[in-house]
Amino acid sequence: MKISIELWRDVAGWRWDVPDDEVCGICRVPFDGCCPSCKMPGDDCPLIWGECSHAFHMHCLIKWLETDSSQQQCPMDRRPWVTAK
Amino acid sequence: MSTPCRRRLMRDFKRLQSDPPEGISGAPCPDNIMMWNAVIFGPAGTPFEDGTFKLTLAFEESYPNKPPGVRFISRMFHPNVYTNGELCLDILQNRWSPTYDVAAILMSIQSLLHDPNSSSPANAEAANLYRENRKEYVRRIRETVEQSWE
Repeated sequence: MKISIELWRDVAGWRWDVPDDEVCGICRVPFDGCCPSCKMPGDDCPLIWGECSHAFHMHCLIKWLETDSSQQQCPMDRRPWVTAK
Repeated sequence: MSTPCRRRLMRDFKRLQSDPPEGISGAPCPDNIMMWNAVIFGPAGTPFEDGTFKLTLAFEESYPNKPPGVRFISRMFHPNVYTNGELCLDILQNRWSPTYDVAAILMSIQSLLHDPNSSSPANAEAANLYRENRKEYVRRIRETVEQSWE
């Protein structure tokens, strides 16, 4: 018997590799949503991880690190922020 | 108008309502989400017990990257509170973190009440009495507790 497939529709889902229900500590929006300055979750509003293992929306963290008071520290543990590779 | 700051403040308010920490309450003004009124109840077993101390929190669009301006409206007698109601509290100044929310701020102030920081006195008289004459210190606080009911 020979089957020929005439039509195939792919549907895929994706999500960030973070525990369920986790929220960004800065804006408190779930990681599966986007930061408050963006409209759509996805590659345009990525997450960023520090070597300290803390994660944030990248846009939220950048805004914090741009302030003088941040002293370039992680908002969670006050260690110097180093982005994980 | 919805901004990241205002959306964050709505989330802060939701958290305060759905999971209210004991002894504090707070809400934005009905016509201005950037201005909040709050009450801290004096913790039981401390000289502040039964006090209902009122505060205001004033937020700017830079929140949560900058802390709000917080001050007591009720008269306070405390080593780290200026007589005009402003506070000397590290997390509202150089140790601010954008991960704090309104609940965390109010809980920190609540714990400051009974656990003053003697290294940064804002009210020298209160700081001296706290160190040298605890009985008079407590009496002065009880005065402010009664005034807080007015």
